[in-house]
This record gives sequence, C-alpha cells and structure tokens, in this order.
Amino acid sequence: MRRSKWLVTVVCFLITALVIGGCSGGAGGNTNGNKPNTDPAPTDKPAEKVKLKLWGAVPAEAGPQAVVEAWNAENPDIEVEYIRFVNDDPGNLKLDTALMTGQDADLYMNYQLTRLQKRVDAGLAVDLSTLTDYKVDEQMGPDAAQWKIADKYYGLPTKKNMAFIWLNKQKLDEAGLPVPPIDWTWSDLQQYAAKLKKDNVYGLLQHEAAYTATLDGTIAGLGVTKADGTSNFDNPLWKQNFEILHNMMFKDKSTPEYSEQLTSKMPVDTMFLKGEAAMLTAGEFIFRNANNLKDYPHDFQIAFAAIPRVNKEQTDFKYPGGLGDVLSINAKSKNQEAAWKFAQWYADGGMLPMASGGRIPSSKSVDSKQAIDLMLKGVEDKYDRESLNNVVFGKFESFQLSVPQQVIDARKEEFEKYFLNKQDIDTTLKNMAKRHQEFIK
Amino acid sequence: MNNLAGSVKTKLPLTIVMLLAGVFMIIPFLWMISTSFQSPSEVFVKWLPSRLDLRSHIRIWTGDYSFVSYYWNSVKVSVLGTAGAVFMSALAAYGFARIEFKGRDSLFLVYLSMMMIPPQVIFVPKFVIFNWMNIYNTHWALILPGMFSIFGVFMLRQFFMSIPKEITESAFMDGAGHIKIFFRLILPLAKPALATFAIIDFSWHWNDYENALVFLTSPELYTIPLGLQNFILENNIDYNGMMAASSAAIIPMIVIFLIGQKYIIQGISSSAVKG
Amino acid sequence: MKRRSWLQKQGWMGYAFILPNMLGILLFFILPALFSFVLMFTNYQFANPDVSFTGLDNFKRLFQDENFYSSIKYTAIFLLSVPVSLILAFAVALILNRSVYLKGLLRGMFFLPYISSGVAVAFVWMLLFQPTHGPINEALRWVGMVSPPGWFADPDAAMYAIDVVQIWFMMGYNMIIYLAALQEISTEQLEAAKIDGAKTGTITWKIIWPLVSPTTFLLLITGLIMTMKSFSLIQAITQGGPSGSTTILSLYVYKTAFSYYEMGYASTISWFLFAVIMLITVIQWIGQKRWVHY
Repeated sequence: MRRSKWLVTVVCFLITALVIGGCSGGAGGNTNGNKPNTDPAPTDKPAEKVKLKLWGAVPAEAGPQAVVEAWNAENPDIEVEYIRFVNDDPGNLKLDTALMTGQDADLYMNYQLTRLQKRVDAGLAVDLSTLTDYKVDEQMGPDAAQWKIADKYYGLPTKKNMAFIWLNKQKLDEAGLPVPPIDWTWSDLQQYAAKLKKDNVYGLLQHEAAYTATLDGTIAGLGVTKADGTSNFDNPLWKQNFEILHNMMFKDKSTPEYSEQLTSKMPVDTMFLKGEAAMLTAGEFIFRNANNLKDYPHDFQIAFAAIPRVNKEQTDFKYPGGLGDVLSINAKSKNQEAAWKFAQWYADGGMLPMASGGRIPSSKSVDSKQAIDLMLKGVEDKYDRESLNNVVFGKFESFQLSVPQQVIDARKEEFEKYFLNKQDIDTTLKNMAKRHQEFIK
Repeated sequence: MNNLAGSVKTKLPLTIVMLLAGVFMIIPFLWMISTSFQSPSEVFVKWLPSRLDLRSHIRIWTGDYSFVSYYWNSVKVSVLGTAGAVFMSALAAYGFARIEFKGRDSLFLVYLSMMMIPPQVIFVPKFVIFNWMNIYNTHWALILPGMFSIFGVFMLRQFFMSIPKEITESAFMDGAGHIKIFFRLILPLAKPALATFAIIDFSWHWNDYENALVFLTSPELYTIPLGLQNFILENNIDYNGMMAASSAAIIPMIVIFLIGQKYIIQGISSSAVKG
Repeated sequence: MKRRSWLQKQGWMGYAFILPNMLGILLFFILPALFSFVLMFTNYQFANPDVSFTGLDNFKRLFQDENFYSSIKYTAIFLLSVPVSLILAFAVALILNRSVYLKGLLRGMFFLPYISSGVAVAFVWMLLFQPTHGPINEALRWVGMVSPPGWFADPDAAMYAIDVVQIWFMMGYNMIIYLAALQEISTEQLEAAKIDGAKTGTITWKIIWPLVSPTTFLLLITGLIMTMKSFSLIQAITQGGPSGSTTILSLYVYKTAFSYYEMGYASTISWFLFAVIMLITVIQWIGQKRWVHY
C-alpha cells in the first residue's frame, strides 16, 4: 500500500512535469522569429535585419518566390518571407488568426472586397493615408476606388482583374463565325454555342469562378436593391439570362447540363485546351495552362470575347474585372514602415515576375507592354492578338462585388434548383429576392 | 470451433466474397495511385495512365515543396501525440473503470459531453489559450491537446470494464495496489484495445488538417495535410501532384496499421484471462 | 462485502488516475467550451474586437432560421448511417476474425477507407454516383429501374448518397474496434457452447453479441457524436449542395463560423447541437443497463 501511494505521487509529479515542461519547451523551441522580443523594431538596433512575412494565395513557385528573392537581393536590411494560403474559408481563417497575433503576418493580399471589409472592421488593416504619400488613384487609375472602404484605402490594388470568354479560333473559323464584338449579348452567345456544338464538342463551357459573371455585372449596374430598398434579385434581366442558359442546357444542348457539370467534376480548362469545347468562360488564370504547351498541347489559336450582357437594351451593364490583389499592411505589425516600403516596390514593378501567370500590374509606373510580353513569351502565335488587346487588355466599366457571402450562397442554392429542374423560374426569382430581403432586414 | 473458425469449405468462398468487397472498399485508393502516375491532361479522363508518368512523384520529393520536412513534422507530431494519448487515456480509463469514487459517473458524463462540442466554435478560445501558453505556431499546439483524447478514455474504459473482475479482485487479495494492477495486469491484458486505439488515434493525428491549418503558420513546421494544400492552385487543383503526395502520405498509416494489428491478432489467450 | 470496502478505501486513487487527463481536458476542452457558451449571448464576429451582448437575439434568430430547420432534417438522415455501418462492421469483423484466409490483407482493405485521402474519396464517389453514366445508375437501370435518382445532382437524393459514403467510410473504424473486442472473448466460452450443440447463429446472437455489448455501446455513442460533428467528407464531395441539400448542422456551423465569421451565432447553433447529442447520449446511458453487459 505505502509503496503504491508513493509511486502514484511520483507518477503524477512526472506527468505534471512533462506537461509543464512540454509547454515551456514549446515556447523555448520557438525562437525562429515568431516572438516579439526576438524581432526587435528597426529603430532599436538599426543593424539588425527586419523580417517581414507576406501572405498571398498564389503558389510560391508561380511567381511570388521570384518576387521575394529579387527584393531580398536588393534589400539586405529587410528580409521578406512569402507564406502561401489557399483563398478559401479555412485559408482566410488561418490568415486572420495570424493577423491577430501581429507577428506572423505583416503584409497580406485581399482578393474579395467583403474579406477586406471584415479585416478593416477588425482593425487588421492600416489606413494607407496615415503613411507617406502614395497617390493610389493616380497610380492605379479610377478603378482603384472600388476598393475604398469608407472613402479610404486600406490596401493597394496591384493587378488588373480579368474575366472573359476564351474562344477556339479554329472552331470559329470552321463554323464561319467571326470573333464576336465587345458588346455582344447572351442571345448571340446562345447562337454561337448552337452553331459550334458538335458530337463530343460543347459550344460553351463555364468555369465555376465565372458562372455568375453576367448576373453580378447586371446587378452592379442596376443596383443590388431597388429604389425603395427592397431586393433587386427578381429583376427581369436575370430572368432572361437564366432562361437562355436553361435553354442552352436542355433545348440546344450546347452547354453541359448543370447536373452533369456538378457531378462529373469537369476539368473545364483541360477540356477547352483539348478542343472539347469551343468557348470557355473563365479568367486570366487559364493562361498558366494555356501557355504550357508541353502538358496541354494544342495547335489552335485562342481568341477572346467579353462577358456578354443580357440583351441589347441593357445599358448599365458592368464588367467583372477592375483591379485585384489588394496588398494590405497588418495594423498589428511592428514593422509597418518596412512593410509599406515593400508594398510600394511590389506594386510599382516588383510584382513583374508574376506576369507570366496572367497578373498584369495596375500601377502606371509599370510599362504594361513589358508585362504582356512576359506573359506571352514563347507562345505569341497561339493567340489572336487583336481580340487579346481588345478584350483582355481593353477598358471596361467594371465593379467589385460587395454582396455578402450569405446572400451569394442563398442565391446559388435557389438557381441550382432551377437548373436541376426542381423549381420554375418565377419561384426561383421570388425566393432569391425573398432570402436576400431577409438578410437585408 | 468448426462453426466459427470454419473449414476450407466455408472459409474459401467467404474469403473470395470478402476479397471482392475489399476491392470495392479500396477503389478510391486505387484511383489515387493511378492518378499519381498520369500526365496532367489525362486526369478525369482515364482510369489508367496511358504510360507511367513519374514526374509527379519525383516532383514532390525534389521540387519546390519540402515534403521531407512535412513528413518529418507529421511523424513527430503524430508519434508524440499518440503515445501521450494512449498513456493518458489508459490511466484515466482505469480510474473510471476499476475504482469506485465519489462523483465518478457524473464526472464521466462531463467528459463525454466535452466530446460533443463542435470543434469549430472552440477554435477561437483555443487560439487565445495557445497564444497565452506561447505555443501558437509550434508543434506543441498540436501535440499537447492531442494527448488528451476523450474518445480514448471512453474506449479504453469500455474495454477495461469487460476484463473479468475476478482477475483484479484476486490481485487485490494478494495485496497489490492499483498502480501495480494497472501496469502489471490491465495494460498487458488490454493490448488489443490499446493497439486499436493507437491505430485510430494515430490516423487522426496524421490526417489532422484543421488544427494544423490554423495553429501553424511557419512553412517549416507544416505537416503533410498542410503540404497537400500546395496542390490547390488558384482556380484549379493539381490532381497528379496531390495524389502522388497522398499516396506517399498513406504509407506510414499502413505501416502503423500492420504493426498494430499484430497485437490485435495476438490478443489475449483464454489462459491469460483465467490467470 | 470485503471487495467493496477495498475499492472504497482506495477511492482517492481514482482521482489520482484521472487527474493528469483532467487537467488537459479542463484546459483544452472545458475552458474553451465555457468561452463559447458566453459567446452565445453576443454578436461576436471573428477577429472583430467590437463585441456586445445581445441577450437572447441569437436564439430568436435560430428559431426563425429556415436553414437551421432544414439542416436538422438532413442531419437526421445522415444519422441513419450509424446503425447501418455498425451492423455491417460487426458482421465483417466476425468473418474476418476467424473464418477467412488472408486475414491481415482483408482487414487492411476494409480499414483503408478510414485513412484514405478525402479528395480521392470525393472524386471516386462522384464518379460512381454519376447520374447518366455512373456504374451505380447503370446497375439500377439494368435491374429495371427506369429513372434512377440523380444522387449528388438531386436535392432529394443527395443526402442518401452521402449516407452510403459515410457507411463505407465508418466501416473500417467500427470493424477494427469490434475486432479488438472479439479478441477478449475466451475460446473456452465458445467451445463450451459448441459442445452443447449450439448453432453458429445462436452462438453469435446469444453469446458473442452480449459479450461485445460494451463495445457496441461505445461505437453507438461515439458514432453518433462523430457523425453529428463530421463535415469534412461532405465538404469535400458536395460542399453542402446541391442547393443546400447536404448541409447538415455541423456543416452549417462550419459555414457560419468560418465563411460568415458569425462566431456568436455559430456558438448558439453548436450549443443546440450539443444539447441534442447530450440528450441522446443520456437516454442511451440510462438505456444501456437493459442491454450492455459488463
């Protein structure tokens, strides 16, 4: 008895020691620049290096690593480390958690206005007007203002955003169709798709990221709510847009049925590059694969068309695009000055190595021709230069979507029912408006 | 024991049926391996690669991603976490199963109830606690909480309870204390249960994505599930790379399973139970 | 009566055995849980320092929230997978315990789903359930079904398809724990029954099933809890769609917390979820005396 009592005391003591030892061991083992006291402000000891952490969603090898290496070579006193996060819900949660600590993230990229808004509300983004003068509107052009929050800039919109339709020029030529004009409509698109459709070739494919491009552009022009403050989700333009797409799926069969796209996990970019679709709604992110002729060989030229408006009468349509990749500084960072120095350098040309993946700098300090050349190096003959200039590098009246995620999700749930033939169009529009209305309230 | 152990006549057809069912169970696994050897443009189109493309496998070990480091980190976190969880859970399970003390059952229900809290809502408080303990962005943020498994306590308690009371009773009569009984009698007898829990707990640690995602930010600390995120590109997924890495990631799990299941098979012979 | 006094005398040892674990549970579970309990009464948005107490607003919202009600319905369908996979796993464990060759290999094959990569699982099941040319619907058409369900493309059928995947996934886990339980049954007990002339079925239901009842109880409770909490498999396959028809409660909590950042409201839903599981568990706990034999 006595012996076992003694033993139990020892065991308990050992375990407690292990637990406590574990904790302090953890803290002690973590000395590689994560703790504030090992990361002194430059003013204290100017000789010591400032270390910055830059968070972005682009895979490191697709440009950011080269950017950071170039900076580090030029600036021995400020070392930047790139940390990649995936731009989905958990990825953004990870970033926000790191931002809260103030030491694990100094600079970060925003890809959606709603996310930036949340970070500003949480006090995690520096108001850029408090830093040295950098005229965002002058440098980035009028589209930058879409990223203002309460009339202030909390980040630099560093790149041009693009959404458009990729065209297989060879198939267009075979069908005797010209590259469509910039102001084409969904009816035109429907006709194109019907004519381009063949056995095992879809007329039109849509990437998930671009599925709602026309819907968003329409309410960006009309306004998310009507004049009386009620939801505008039941507008007739949406109805027309939905009906055309529905007809393309079920009558013309020129685009995959929604259920097919949902359940086949269609690799739309691969299919387009293999010639299994004549048109593809997507964005500049396809350039990476399209330029990779080794893994995605294709012999046709690619032309471009703008996202179509719903009909000819629609006057206030806006195009998805504008600017993106908004670089913010963590308001809890201890190295804001160094971070600001890097941010300006990045926007004004430091980001060029990312051009090959389709990221064209928005700053006027960068010669965009240089960026375009970088992007198309070695594959110039694979693109129809005229439509490339008109569409990809054209000027459009653009917008940033500011509808909250809850509403986007509710809208998707409703239109899915329509495209799965579980709900008619009028009920769909009514429900979308109703659920939006509930959220506004 | 012919009925249960079976003769060749019953064993052979059963084996064949089970093999067929088994193949069905591992279809995703086969697809994973097949995809890892395909070239990028073949994914989703073919079940089998037209020719073995080793690039993905070579790339994960020699390319831009440091899978060697992810692997090592995963091993470290999983082994320490599992070892801690098995020991800690066995201790507590013995307390709940073999000792009568005041408030035991209500305390156990409190334990169980903590299992029911959805992990999503305790992320924020956990983050605050880790930050305060100074273990945010260290492996301890995964290992320490991982050592406390409510499931483990519950599971081992159930197994300890089904070990015949007579065994411990006679040991008591011989004057052994709880410590001695725990280490000398219960632990050896419960080997199958301990091995089973170890396998399952290891697989949780090995595949833990959410905790690792939020609580580790330095790439040099990343574990395999975080490493797999490298293959999620901006608007699509590099399936070849991801499946190559996933195939490599599953190997240690299989090794652990094979080691563990030896103990499960060995089990306790009836003579041991009878003391 | 001597045994009782022995156990009581050493009662304090019980606390000693539990203490180390208790400390960890307190720090990593109970403390955070209490914190989230407080959040229920606030409008806390993740990362946002502006927090105010909103009293019972979250509860009012909960009871008016249609997404919440539909997610309860889908959760109930999801829970059907628990008993089914339990029974299947018991049968498989029984067979793989003694009556086959290649035991090690077969056990490994059945356990593999539990440790497979989520992405691969999601993709392959999508293909198997593909409505127009997937093998499952091909088979259904072959046996004479004119219009088989659209599965993941049909809001009325998607949840059942998820059930199938969940059963497949949980089988290995249930099986391996049953296997461990079967090892503890002494051969003598079975031999004795055999000598008495009992049939395989009788031995299974009258002897083995009661002997593994503590394990069944464990698997039932943990199965329900884990199934209620799990969302990553659904997230990988359907992301809660089509049109929300696979958004079970835990996935709704996940979206509310991580996608909408409404931590206060997410806590409210979670504590509701907690109350439901707790109730089920307590009922099972009371009911166990009828069928669990230690």
